Amino acid sequence: MLEEDEGGFTPLPDTGWDSAGTQYGRKAVETRLLMTLSVRVAPPTDIGHVPHGTRRIARLTGGDFEGPRLRGTLVPGSSADWLLLRGDGVLELDFRATLRTDEGGLIAMKSFGLRHGPPEVLAALGRGETVDPASYYFRTTPRFVTSHPRYAFLNRVIAVATGDRRADGPIYTIHEVL
Amino acid sequence: MNARPLMILRLATGATEDVGETPYGTVSIFPVTGGSFEGDRLRGKVVAGGGDWVTVRADGTLELDLRVTLETDDGALIYMTFTGVRDDPSHYFRTLPRFETAASQYAFLNRLLAVGVGEVFPDGPVHVIEEIL
Repeated sequence: MLEEDEGGFTPLPDTGWDSAGTQYGRKAVETRLLMTLSVRVAPPTDIGHVPHGTRRIARLTGGDFEGPRLRGTLVPGSSADWLLLRGDGVLELDFRATLRTDEGGLIAMKSFGLRHGPPEVLAALGRGETVDPASYYFRTTPRFVTSHPRYAFLNRVIAVATGDRRADGPIYTIHEVL
Repeated sequence: MNARPLMILRLATGATEDVGETPYGTVSIFPVTGGSFEGDRLRGKVVAGGGDWVTVRADGTLELDLRVTLETDDGALIYMTFTGVRDDPSHYFRTLPRFETAASQYAFLNRLLAVGVGEVFPDGPVHVIEEIL
């Protein structure tokens, strides 16, 4: 069996996966840069207290994305982030954006995310200050659909992103899960 | 992108419920009959019930929509869902798990995003799930 070839692991029965998330030395989760997306956010519309928390909607007025395989601009209009501040202080992000590549392909992006951190860090973000993105948790999980053949690979990509909230809008560094 | 192991989840599934052609694609439901999960911070068994609502898209890729209940070895219940994709020709089986629990010792699960790498074995799928740091 493979476990004898590799040695050193305690594989779960029949699978080869060990508790560190490696299988015969191969790491489970590997990623590579897909794009950096910078968006500009309008002042949010407050819906107020809803059954799940406090709802705000932040329209996206524009943005740019760039990566090794695609680049272009964000189409304002429908693009927005539907924000829900939960009772436990976690901000849920329900982001939808339309992206237009530099050759005219349209990509619909939807991304669920979470943002939370120490109160003083969140207060600084609220004042529009630039804060070290490592000092809070701002992660999202984008999915994409497109009809453009050149970008069809996006239709089956699972991705994860780290966010960096700036005064005029977040910068998302989006990685494809390989 | 940094991640750290959260758990390895092994699911046991029952006979597929083939819903068939729908306006969204071909839908099959894989009932979850049990299973187990294990990680440094939590371990236990999968409660029977729940399942994976799988839609075969026009391009052949499977869209996954799972909901199950986990029960830890100290008796806490965790509601877990994931969406994901499975594309067998390219051996790409990746998921985005989310967790909800009222148990304070596992409240960290309410605040994290995760990625799963799935693999199909004869007795059911196995998911290596990592927390996105």
